[in-house]
Amino acid sequence: MKKTTKLLLGTAAMTLALTSGAFAQDVSRENTVIFDLDRTIADPENFNWMTDGTGIRRMHGAHQTMWEPLFILNYNTGELDPWLALEANSDEGGAVWTIALREGVTWSDGEAFDADDVVFTVNMALENEELTAREVATLRGQVASVEALDSHTVQFTLNAPNPRFAVENFGVRIFGSFLIMPEHVWSAAEDPATFTFFPPIGTGPYVYESSASNRAIWDRADSWWGAETGFMDMPEPERVIFLESGGEESRAQLMIAGDLDAAQNLSVGTFEAIQAQNPDAMAWYSDYPYAVADPCARQMEINTTVAPWDNANMRRAVSMIIDRTQIVNIAAEGATTASSTMFAQYGSMSPFIDAVVEAGHGLSPTADVEGAQALLEAEGWTRDGDYYTRDGETLSVEIHVNSASTEYTRTIDMIVEQLQRAGIDARSVPVENGVFWGEVLPFGAFTMSYSWLSCGSVNEPWASMGRYTVADVVPVGERSPGFNNTSRWDGEAAEAYSAIVDEMETMALGDPAIPGMVAEAYQYLDAEMPFVPLVQAFKLMPFATTYWEGWPSADNYYNHPFFHWNSGHQIIHNLTRAE
Amino acid sequence: MSDPTNAAAPETAAPDMAGLTKRQLKRMKRFDNPWNNPKLIWGVSLLLGIVALGIFGRLFWDTDLVFTGAVMPSQAPVGFENLRGQVGLASSPLGTDVAGKDLLALLIVGAPNSLYVGVLASLIGMSLGIFLGFTAGYTGGRVDDVIRVSSDVMITIPPLLILVVVQASFGDITLTMMAVLIAAFVWQSPTRLIRAQVLSMRESGYVQMARLSGASDRHIMFREMLPNLVPYLFGSFIANVTTAIVTAVGLEVLGLGPQRVPTLGRVIYDAIDSAALTRDMWWWWGFPTVLLMVMFIGLLLINLGLDEVSNPRLRRL
Amino acid sequence: MARYLANRLFTLFLTVFIAATLIWIIPRLSPVNPIDAMLGRMASGGGTIENSGAIMEQLMERFGFNDPWYVQYFLYIKNTLTFDFGLSTNSFPTPVAQMIGGALPWTIGLMMVALIITFIIGNLLGALMVWEHTPRPWKAVIPAMMVFTSMPPILSGLLLMYVFSSTLPWFPLNGAYGINVEPEWSLSFIGSVIHHGVLPAMSIVVVTFGFWALGMRGLMITVQGEDYTVLAKAKGLKKRYILYKYMIRNAILPQITAFALKIGMLVAGQVLVERIFAYPGMGKLLYDAILTQDYPVIQGVSFVIILMTALAVFLVDLIYPLIDPRIRLGG
Repeated sequence: MKKTTKLLLGTAAMTLALTSGAFAQDVSRENTVIFDLDRTIADPENFNWMTDGTGIRRMHGAHQTMWEPLFILNYNTGELDPWLALEANSDEGGAVWTIALREGVTWSDGEAFDADDVVFTVNMALENEELTAREVATLRGQVASVEALDSHTVQFTLNAPNPRFAVENFGVRIFGSFLIMPEHVWSAAEDPATFTFFPPIGTGPYVYESSASNRAIWDRADSWWGAETGFMDMPEPERVIFLESGGEESRAQLMIAGDLDAAQNLSVGTFEAIQAQNPDAMAWYSDYPYAVADPCARQMEINTTVAPWDNANMRRAVSMIIDRTQIVNIAAEGATTASSTMFAQYGSMSPFIDAVVEAGHGLSPTADVEGAQALLEAEGWTRDGDYYTRDGETLSVEIHVNSASTEYTRTIDMIVEQLQRAGIDARSVPVENGVFWGEVLPFGAFTMSYSWLSCGSVNEPWASMGRYTVADVVPVGERSPGFNNTSRWDGEAAEAYSAIVDEMETMALGDPAIPGMVAEAYQYLDAEMPFVPLVQAFKLMPFATTYWEGWPSADNYYNHPFFHWNSGHQIIHNLTRAE
Repeated sequence: MSDPTNAAAPETAAPDMAGLTKRQLKRMKRFDNPWNNPKLIWGVSLLLGIVALGIFGRLFWDTDLVFTGAVMPSQAPVGFENLRGQVGLASSPLGTDVAGKDLLALLIVGAPNSLYVGVLASLIGMSLGIFLGFTAGYTGGRVDDVIRVSSDVMITIPPLLILVVVQASFGDITLTMMAVLIAAFVWQSPTRLIRAQVLSMRESGYVQMARLSGASDRHIMFREMLPNLVPYLFGSFIANVTTAIVTAVGLEVLGLGPQRVPTLGRVIYDAIDSAALTRDMWWWWGFPTVLLMVMFIGLLLINLGLDEVSNPRLRRL
Repeated sequence: MARYLANRLFTLFLTVFIAATLIWIIPRLSPVNPIDAMLGRMASGGGTIENSGAIMEQLMERFGFNDPWYVQYFLYIKNTLTFDFGLSTNSFPTPVAQMIGGALPWTIGLMMVALIITFIIGNLLGALMVWEHTPRPWKAVIPAMMVFTSMPPILSGLLLMYVFSSTLPWFPLNGAYGINVEPEWSLSFIGSVIHHGVLPAMSIVVVTFGFWALGMRGLMITVQGEDYTVLAKAKGLKKRYILYKYMIRNAILPQITAFALKIGMLVAGQVLVERIFAYPGMGKLLYDAILTQDYPVIQGVSFVIILMTALAVFLVDLIYPLIDPRIRLGG
């Protein structure tokens, strides 16, 4: 027995001796910034972003440190901050766009970045249908041809006028942008769809160091075009690491231990617990709601082809029964705010939101159950015990909800309770993520469902509003094009709405007539309610100031805090070492 | 089961009779009735306690409090403080979770549900395993081949794969369906092990003896061989109940269980998903875990007790 | 002997073939079309998807989902038999073999260590529960220790993490090796791997040894009454000698079968433990693949599991007659 003990102790001592060596870092913790990655890197040695539909192949640092966008949309001002490009302008009609590139930009291997790279990458996207990343598909749908006017000017001819062309494709509007690839590397690829682009290069201040399924490491390059041309100083962190964390509990522990500088979404209670143990932890707001809104405001989609919900008054009654404040308090633990319109409530969106609210189409944060019940009774329903009935039929509804997150199920549980108390026999139907997004939503196989399909607008109203026009109506059982108008909202009001929205589509951004048109179109949405806006989406992404300062927040609003987006460059450039 | 008791008891108990203390004698007396076994009684009481919690809890406590937003969220048990310094009230004596569900109500509804899934899954799985294992081992030949290959095939198929497909096809699944699904993954091991045991027992002295004396196959299988396997089978049954409960928890943690039915696993899942450990909400994961442990101890004691009943050598004086 | 071997070999091939066919069929029984699900994941990222119809067609064509089922099936069987699992649909164009290659060593390392520790501890404790000469305190402590068996592994993992990583900073919170350590055959790398593996392995050990102990206990009770044990006692052999050479040796036989089955299953990994520790194993790979309808990865991972299990079973069948002479060959 003693022998065994000795052996065990010996092994333990050896292990510790060995491991102490393992932590001798070549870059000290003080010079490293560690970001959270909320998923596994399935293919660590593949950097072909153009075949990756959902963008997971970019968010482990590739498009935050190595590949730079042409512009970055500022969520506060609604302006496009220039990055690799200087400016983008369209002709009168909005169908021909000219983008001026910055001079002096170089790839990390020393080659110059110029209009040829842009033309090459865009042509590759246009010619190869197998490249299926979202940004590639968007660009392919919009661009007819591209040419270099000179070494730093590129001209795009579009299939149709589009005033949002630059922001939609090159501006990091939501998550990513169309990234320009080095022609001198990619031109050697036989088939762009199977090219892995390994090792990768970019124009950014960091170069690829190594990657595994649970982390990617990026090291600061010796030189960067931005510092050389005076665009910006070299970023301070010498090393950037994206580290996979394993769920909320593990993430919280890493944050407390100081092993993460920036974490992905957490719940309020967890954040408060982290703060209690690590006072360096901070969030977007220093108090409730702590979290920042993400662009996809939550809503309840109603299938307008299913009786009795094909009646607009019935849908409005549902909207009136919903107590948004209760959803905020219970399902979101106070981390969000009630939606007053379909839009995400950013500074850049306020002209449109204000116009809708002023016209009297804003939603109330609290419920009006009596008003709703009056509507139901006017439609011939009478309360019989717990529930409303008509012709012996009980008023009931099944609400499909994605079971992948407690945010979704909790919100729908709350709504089910509210509908039940008001006399509607509601029931939630939780379904698996793949079924929900693959079968339920696109094919209209639901009566009501919890989603965010009006997502899109962040600096102009059309991206969201354009998703509910009659052009995208298909019968139940057919795939909704682009997940648009999954409510299958049709009829006179919908047509009147579509007419206004279609007109808006080609108007220049910032046209003073737009807010008025938004309000005018919105009256139909408000009256018909093909979907019920609920609350703002909330992302509580905590940062730690232990090693780094300069994180984005409501008081330091240089941009939103979504560090897994292509705009992560801005955050890294703003970091300064904590003293 | 009473046969071996009578046969073995005098042998082991008699020689030591002389040097017993009073206390031991008193214990001895209790063994006159082997069923009057303290472990067995304790074990059964613990399990009955869980069932009683389910039955009487419903009478004395409002089980509608299991719904989202029923009570104040994130409250500590009565007399304790939560992170925000609020002291728990008697209205939710065991505290509440972050979605405003009452923990006492969750336990009242959830504990019997978990026990049900565990026992049902284990019962189905073990019965199937015993039946197929005996049949294969004793009959041999083609039957054996078919059973062996199909159990081998079923051992290799990853359970997750089937569960995800079932859930995608049927949407929400019920507790019973979940038990059946879990049972589909626990019968293979007993089948194989019992088959192996039967094969080796077939050659053992007493079976050969019985065969020579012209006993029927059924007699040999069920009167001679099965009793010898009982301690092992019961041990596996208990282990399987626990495995099934834990598997159910695991599936729920992956979002593959029944969604609307409260079970202990579901409560623990919600707690973990909301970082209850970091939030110091020990009541949220602690109470359901304690109940799982109580169930396990109950089953374990029954196991130990039953073995003592059937096998007097195990009784401690 | 030769006939027995041939028989078992045939069973091995039959098992693998049937199982491989099943894992091709099962994912296709799901109502979700993988490309629809992929578009769904794109849509859930926000905003509309332009050209969704064209993308759909492209992807269906690329992954061969437009081919008739028998073409897909025969291609699958042909490729699988040559260990070519194709390219992942979700991580296109990464070869599935490469993804498995990245995860398999970690899973085998972690799970094998955990399984061996569990097997030894569990069986020893199970035997001690029955042995009449076990010291009193142990008899009381062992059943109490088994209480952990009722805990879900994710909870044991989190509790261990909470105690030995957060409160006492002895072990790292996540990963399979240090962030700044390069995977290579160096002492520091191996040390780092061991250091990172302790908590995940422990969280599996504490919740599973009880199962082994329970099974062993049942087997020991049976063995205790066997003639050879009684005879050995009557001969006056040493107590420990009887315990090891007569009781455990005979009782452990069925446990070895169970061990072999577990070797196969361990490849499937422990999804939840892998998840909380962000451990790069097979469990997570398979789980993610199932959730994203990544057929080639599902098939590849499952096939490895099938092969491992079938081989383990095959070996047990071969070894069993050698260690348990009571079995006649040819049965």
